[in-house]
Amino acid sequence: MTGGDGAGGSATPPLVVLEHITKRFPGVLANDEVDLELRAGEVHALIGENGAGKSTLMRVLYGMYPADGGRIVVRGQEVRISSPRDAIANGIGMVHQHFVLVDPFTVTENIILGEEGGERLDMDAAQQRVAELAESYAFRVDPGAVVEELSVGEEQRVEILKALYRGVEILILDEPTAVLTPSETTDLFGNLRKLREAGRTIVFISHKLDEVMEIADRITVLRRGRVVGETRPSETSKATLAEMMVGRPVLFRLDKPSVEIGEPVLKVEDLTGEGKLNGVSLEVRAGEILGVAGVEGNGQRELAESLIGLRTPESGTIELEGAAIGGRPVFDIRNAGVGYIPEDRHEQGLVLTMSLWENSVLGRQDDTDFSGSLGVLYIRKIKDLAARLVKLFDIRARSVDVTASTLSGGNQQKLILARELETDPKLLIAAQPTRGLDVGAIEFVWKEILDQKAAGRGVLLISAELDEIYALSDRIVTLFEGKITGEFPPDAPPEQVGIGMLGRAPQEAA
Amino acid sequence: MSAQGMASPITVPRARPAWLESFVGQLLALLASFGIALLIGSLLILAYGENPIEVYRSIFDASLGSADGLGYVFAIATPLIFSALAVSVCFKGGMFNIGVEGQYLVAMIAAAVAELNLDFLPGFLLVPAVLLAAMFGGMIWAAIPAVLKVKRGAHEVVTTIMLNAIALSLVGWALNGPLKYNDAPEGAFVDLRSNVFPDKGLVGDLGSVFGVTPGAHLSWLVFLAIAAAIIVWFLIRRTRLGYEARAVGSSPGSAKAGGVSIGSTQIRLFLISGALAGLIGMQQILADRGYLPLNYVPLLGFLGIGVAFLGQNNPIGIIFAAILWGILSRGEVALQISSQVPREFIIILQGVLILTVVIIYQIARRRLAARQLQQAGMAGELGDSDAPEESAGPRGPEDTGAEALEPVEEKRI
Repeated sequence: MTGGDGAGGSATPPLVVLEHITKRFPGVLANDEVDLELRAGEVHALIGENGAGKSTLMRVLYGMYPADGGRIVVRGQEVRISSPRDAIANGIGMVHQHFVLVDPFTVTENIILGEEGGERLDMDAAQQRVAELAESYAFRVDPGAVVEELSVGEEQRVEILKALYRGVEILILDEPTAVLTPSETTDLFGNLRKLREAGRTIVFISHKLDEVMEIADRITVLRRGRVVGETRPSETSKATLAEMMVGRPVLFRLDKPSVEIGEPVLKVEDLTGEGKLNGVSLEVRAGEILGVAGVEGNGQRELAESLIGLRTPESGTIELEGAAIGGRPVFDIRNAGVGYIPEDRHEQGLVLTMSLWENSVLGRQDDTDFSGSLGVLYIRKIKDLAARLVKLFDIRARSVDVTASTLSGGNQQKLILARELETDPKLLIAAQPTRGLDVGAIEFVWKEILDQKAAGRGVLLISAELDEIYALSDRIVTLFEGKITGEFPPDAPPEQVGIGMLGRAPQEAA
Repeated sequence: MSAQGMASPITVPRARPAWLESFVGQLLALLASFGIALLIGSLLILAYGENPIEVYRSIFDASLGSADGLGYVFAIATPLIFSALAVSVCFKGGMFNIGVEGQYLVAMIAAAVAELNLDFLPGFLLVPAVLLAAMFGGMIWAAIPAVLKVKRGAHEVVTTIMLNAIALSLVGWALNGPLKYNDAPEGAFVDLRSNVFPDKGLVGDLGSVFGVTPGAHLSWLVFLAIAAAIIVWFLIRRTRLGYEARAVGSSPGSAKAGGVSIGSTQIRLFLISGALAGLIGMQQILADRGYLPLNYVPLLGFLGIGVAFLGQNNPIGIIFAAILWGILSRGEVALQISSQVPREFIIILQGVLILTVVIIYQIARRRLAARQLQQAGMAGELGDSDAPEESAGPRGPEDTGAEALEPVEEKRI
């Protein structure tokens, strides 16, 4: 491992040098004398836990934050970058995790927005230029398509093209794969390789180590605002990187507690609805984690939402310990003993504008512990609950009065877990429970899920990450086009499960 | 918990309590917006060749300079408090009740019906019965858009605007039909109105207690308005319904996944809004006129939207916003007497004030959000540090949109 300043193996002069960048926020040293070099034509991965300062560093480079110290040298010249406009003028572009596109506009209109060139718009010519640009880097996107009809992966391509259209040479991608399906990730990596061949430089912010190992030429690891090392995929391993990020060894496989599998907790039969679920049948037993594997968009969301009552199934039955809960309101299903970790924690988990204490009771506000018969909230008791959950789950927050929006993703997820597990649900529905989390937080969530199993409860784990399915499940079923297409033991080879995910086996049978 | 200590323990800095931070921030924001509005007003006054200080002083004298002035200010503020509260209750649940106007018109009809049909009751029962009837009338008119929204997905802005028009005609119809006066002196020409209400059914003039001219029509309804504001505050901040309303308003998905019934919450909010709207017209017909006239003071429901924004949808803020509105409205009189500045200046100043308050608050809110974030130490992590900005987002832009729109409407009115 070489130091941050190391010249590395290549002799080419660095394209961008960040020297001793320091960025302070009140009470927090987000970047502490960080040095970083970017070379032409490399994919440079910037990894670290949430709060390590990766995004802050890149936002400084992109002109969104002024640095408190240090300097930025681009192509041998010191530059002042005080706005994204300056950054783009210096050939630096950034694609954020949340896209900023005009939904009713076409791809071309979005890309040329602000760069129309002249008063008269020649949309055909612009479309032609965009098409050529997309072609040259193998981006699969229709320049005439309307953005609101695109998938997340396609929208991301539009964002990248937007930066490229402005002549950007250094492209910063902030957690680009967090929102992508596995196949979209593969596509993205194809595009990135093309860009690298064309001599563009890519900064890839991530905490998914498999992806970093696959795509990066060089890797810089940040921890608590400092560079803790710089390395190459060929010189390191996932375990080493994880340890560098977290500061201690990280277990990628946790021991599954051995619990006697009991009676069925959840029984789903022939669940059908909204064209997305076409007769799903499955069973989760006490002390068992059932993993539902599948490529996203094959009914996972609909399955989870039907089970918790957010959707009403058209037909089929859902039974919780023998009692029918299908089509009941969410409130009843929760009270019957179902916990829910939603796939989208901002949309369905937390009310971001409300405080931690208010969020900690969401779903239980009717509980006689937390409000009286006249509907007056017992604020003291709710705050006590929140304080207990914060302590128990090690949620990092200034106080229980801050809004949920101020928490990092990992801490938000912990808050949801804490809330959902507090009631000791008989069944936990965990939909993509570690999406967007860093390794430390993933480990935490996994342990909590395994603890549920150890306590003899049933867990339905729905995940697009096969790793996660394997790490936790006692049984694996695959979901494809709204049908269960196979059931596998936890030691089945991934290739077999992969075939189930693509739905081949049962289609032949049918 | 087994996974504890996976990173070194975090120090939790003791910061200023959030409420103090927000209180100081609010006060600064308020002063800044007043300052800017007065400055812009000064430019207008200068354009008329008058001395801004003199003009502002005359407004101040007319409103706060005497007991009479103060009486007028509170009398103007009373219906506006009810109106703005009605708007804000729906707004907390993410809904825009443009129908406060119609709701208060229907409520006045209901009150008049109660007055004229329950006159066998003694006064101490008749007045509460009339107020309840008014609230009930407002609730009925609010229930229609609420049910249409929840059951059929009809947007409340569209339906309430249409119901306003219907309510307007309803008043005319009632005064020409069932409520048509028949106690007028023979052959006398009288404006279209209902029969005169029994004296015991009117609310007492409060002015005499404080030495205010009866012309101000200050009634004890002003205390009812302030009590209503406090009740609404309690409802929003301290009860399950308020909690669920705020959750529905800022994150319907999370509220729903938490087992909150969105439809039932929205209907209840609309009913409360309608009940509050029902009290808007009471000062007018029970303290001022003593009957339901066709030439009632219109647009109080729309003014409430402006006042609600001026008070930032905070019940206590609304009290002060309504008083401020009253001060400026009262100042109109002073302008006509003591300067060449046209009275429309007041309307402009009210509009400018809403704009500056909305803008300054938006800036203050963003700064506060950014500060909270930075103190939480997550400023660097996009995935979720973006969320705060964006989380204000889902509602935020809509807020601004609506807020930016309203003052315009205000001026037109």
